[in-house]
Amino acid sequence: METYDAVVIGAGNGGLTAAAGLAQKGLHVLLLERHNIPGGCATSFCRGRFEFEVALHQLSGMGTTEKPGPLRMLLYSLGVLDDLEFVEMKDLYSVAMPDGFRLTLKADRDQVISELAQRFPHETAAIHRFFDLAYAYANQMLAAFFFKDPSPSREKYPVLYSHAFKPASEILDEIFTDPMLKGLLSVYWGYLGLPPNRLSFAYLAMLFFVYIEFKPFHIKGGSQALSNALANRFLSNGGTVRFNCGAKRIIVENGSVQGVETEDGDRIQTRYVVSNASQVTTYAQLMDREAVPDHALTEMGGRSLSPSAFTLFVGFDCGPEALGITETTNFLIDSFQFDDRIFNRMRSLGITDETMVLSCYDVADPDFSPPGACQANIVTLKYGEPWMHIPPTRYHRVKFQCAEAMLRRVEAIFPNVRAHIEELEAATPLTHMRYLGHPEGAIYGFEQYTKDAMFFQPGRFAPIEGLFFASGRIGDCGFQPTLHAGMSAAKSILKKLGAA
Amino acid sequence: MSKAIFEEFDGYQDIVDEIDFSRRRGVDYTVYRDSVSRQIDLLHPRRITLRVADIRDETASTKTLRFVAQDGYLPPFLAGQYIAIFVDVAGVRTSRPYSISSPPNQTGYYEITVRRVQEGRVSNYLLDELRRGDILEASGPSGHFYHNPVFHDPTMVCLAGGSGVTPFVSMVREIVECGPDRTLFLIYGNKTLDEAIFHDELSRMSDRFRHITYAPVIEDPLEGYDGATGLMTGQLIQEIIGGPADKTFYLCGPQGMYDFCVPELLTMGVPPRKIRREIYGPPARIWEDPAWPREIHAEDRFRVRVAGGTPIDARAGEPLLTALERAGLRVPSLCRSGECSMCRVKIRSGKVFQPAGIPVRKSDRQFGYVHACVSYPLTDLEILI
Repeated sequence: METYDAVVIGAGNGGLTAAAGLAQKGLHVLLLERHNIPGGCATSFCRGRFEFEVALHQLSGMGTTEKPGPLRMLLYSLGVLDDLEFVEMKDLYSVAMPDGFRLTLKADRDQVISELAQRFPHETAAIHRFFDLAYAYANQMLAAFFFKDPSPSREKYPVLYSHAFKPASEILDEIFTDPMLKGLLSVYWGYLGLPPNRLSFAYLAMLFFVYIEFKPFHIKGGSQALSNALANRFLSNGGTVRFNCGAKRIIVENGSVQGVETEDGDRIQTRYVVSNASQVTTYAQLMDREAVPDHALTEMGGRSLSPSAFTLFVGFDCGPEALGITETTNFLIDSFQFDDRIFNRMRSLGITDETMVLSCYDVADPDFSPPGACQANIVTLKYGEPWMHIPPTRYHRVKFQCAEAMLRRVEAIFPNVRAHIEELEAATPLTHMRYLGHPEGAIYGFEQYTKDAMFFQPGRFAPIEGLFFASGRIGDCGFQPTLHAGMSAAKSILKKLGAA
Repeated sequence: MSKAIFEEFDGYQDIVDEIDFSRRRGVDYTVYRDSVSRQIDLLHPRRITLRVADIRDETASTKTLRFVAQDGYLPPFLAGQYIAIFVDVAGVRTSRPYSISSPPNQTGYYEITVRRVQEGRVSNYLLDELRRGDILEASGPSGHFYHNPVFHDPTMVCLAGGSGVTPFVSMVREIVECGPDRTLFLIYGNKTLDEAIFHDELSRMSDRFRHITYAPVIEDPLEGYDGATGLMTGQLIQEIIGGPADKTFYLCGPQGMYDFCVPELLTMGVPPRKIRREIYGPPARIWEDPAWPREIHAEDRFRVRVAGGTPIDARAGEPLLTALERAGLRVPSLCRSGECSMCRVKIRSGKVFQPAGIPVRKSDRQFGYVHACVSYPLTDLEILI
């Protein structure tokens, strides 16, 4: 029987950093991936002369060479920084509405404040207060947790103690009176999947803080370049990767991992498994029921699956300027009613007034698409469940109808788009389900209610000796958290082995 | 252990209560088991098992094979898509993509139409060996050559050569049988009229339906033939379709047809974004590619080592995928034309020839990944599947 020090199931962001981190320390590691390419969400596909970015909109935590952020340091430690070229985005985001409203916030605190103060002069003091508060929260959070203050207290960290569990909209309501301004400052809810009345202020504050302090980035060659670089480093450090081969079963005896059975029927002996699959898949599909303690299922049962997404990938035969697209990240919105009504929209098939993000990478990186062309990734959040009830024979029709509805929304803001489409592909929640293997196509893992924050859930740990999780489901979702999650899983194993 | 600091945060107790409540009313995720694959298999199964239900002669060199699903269920497809058929020929497991020629509204069977290809091991097998009742494995429907109503014009101009007519037959049948608001011109080139597959059916539909126009173009017509002759020139196309405005153009046929027709269309003023090409297998006689290195001959042989295993034998003039299959290695494949990326392999050492224009991801190029179906060994290789 083949024996490995550790088996990593899934080559998504988390699986890749876990595998690369373990192999770097000399461990004998097997990485299993169902698909024929590493990356999971962090991937791309080709249509015609375009290579479409699938998932990465704004990479957080990079920082600059002079002021490196945590992600840059992680990628440096894994030895992949030299294989990659990062492109800094100058804009935090732009908000566009069909009535012609446009607002662009640059990724700079002073510029954000002055731009907002100019548009909303009556709220100038409040705008300062909001960013002071967000920064105070972020700094106190980092001091207490990231730098692990041994004796934290309410006196030292008043904002952290009072604001950590408050919903974002409560803080926005306290500070601002203008509903439009509140809306403009909460569009990032789309990156987290919950409306601001359900989303903790902590997330919103941290998002502004990391994007402004470490700037949003993109990668030359897209997120696939990062996945390929990590896989390449893993291989050059002696790792073994098997593409087109998923895990079928994690073998557990007496509460500890004994091995993994692959889809090809091979039995691999190992004491450590990092699962980049969701806990749902890991516990309900990859493990025998009796191997999973009841309390793990009870804990998981208290959490709900996040939305999936409907995404349009559009290749245009012209540059972004010909389409009127001047910023990389554009939130296209009809109204600022960000409340529980959003759930109704996310639970329906149709597309009417959904918040959408349109990312045009070519604005920041003119080499992204072929010369004279550009591409847009347009996404809106949708739960997977309604899509699971469409009869297969109607699936393509519904997909085209939704794509058409979405395109009309884009046209209402950028009227020239239709005349320049060269390639167009739509991805439904079922597409995400197909390629990611996530139950209900959930792209953000479990929903990120405050009750599901890192404090209240087991994170990468499983009640099975030798099993660790590394995915967007162990805490915060998104590229940066997931990449860190894999490294944390690797460190946990190294610590167990005394190799750290 | 001392109290964790977050236990002192404002609102902590409310959250503990909420967690308690949500766990008591929680989801039983154990029922999810294989729900993802069961759902996805309805649309995109990796493999389907087909039984040959019928075999019909179309022309002297062409037959239509009708397949039904062994388990009774066939996934839906879009007119123009293909399936890859897996066969064992002389002990070698391989596959070939074939466009589905039956219309998508026919959910009881798929039909493919196979034309004999010179030295075509798979086509010969399908035409000569296959019998009614035989069982075959196939991929689920795949491919991007279909009418996309979101950005294609409702008027389609289809240019076909030889067996490249098959996806269009599916489209014509769908339009006739289901009546989507679409107009289709099919201009179909062949050497002789005898070789035109579906000529009678297409002529009938063209006569009967205003929005279907079928125009065969014959290179070497017999005496008495009164249709279009010669090549599919821009002038001929315009005579059939009128002006090129508000029309999307679809091409399916051998490379030579694309080399000739695409410049004709561009000269007519068709914008490049309105020209859509179906993939049509790896280039024949790759060693005649202008970029092919002169010092390498088609028959040159190299050793290919897969992940440190026993070396296998590969010829410069044949796709790496073919050599791997001959050695009994399992490499996923689908389109066999460089497009679908299923046969992506990493070249760890050595060099391969890849024709221009193959859509390989930028970072795949950076890290040495190629599509084995359109990569030709130029040296000994070490690869990773």
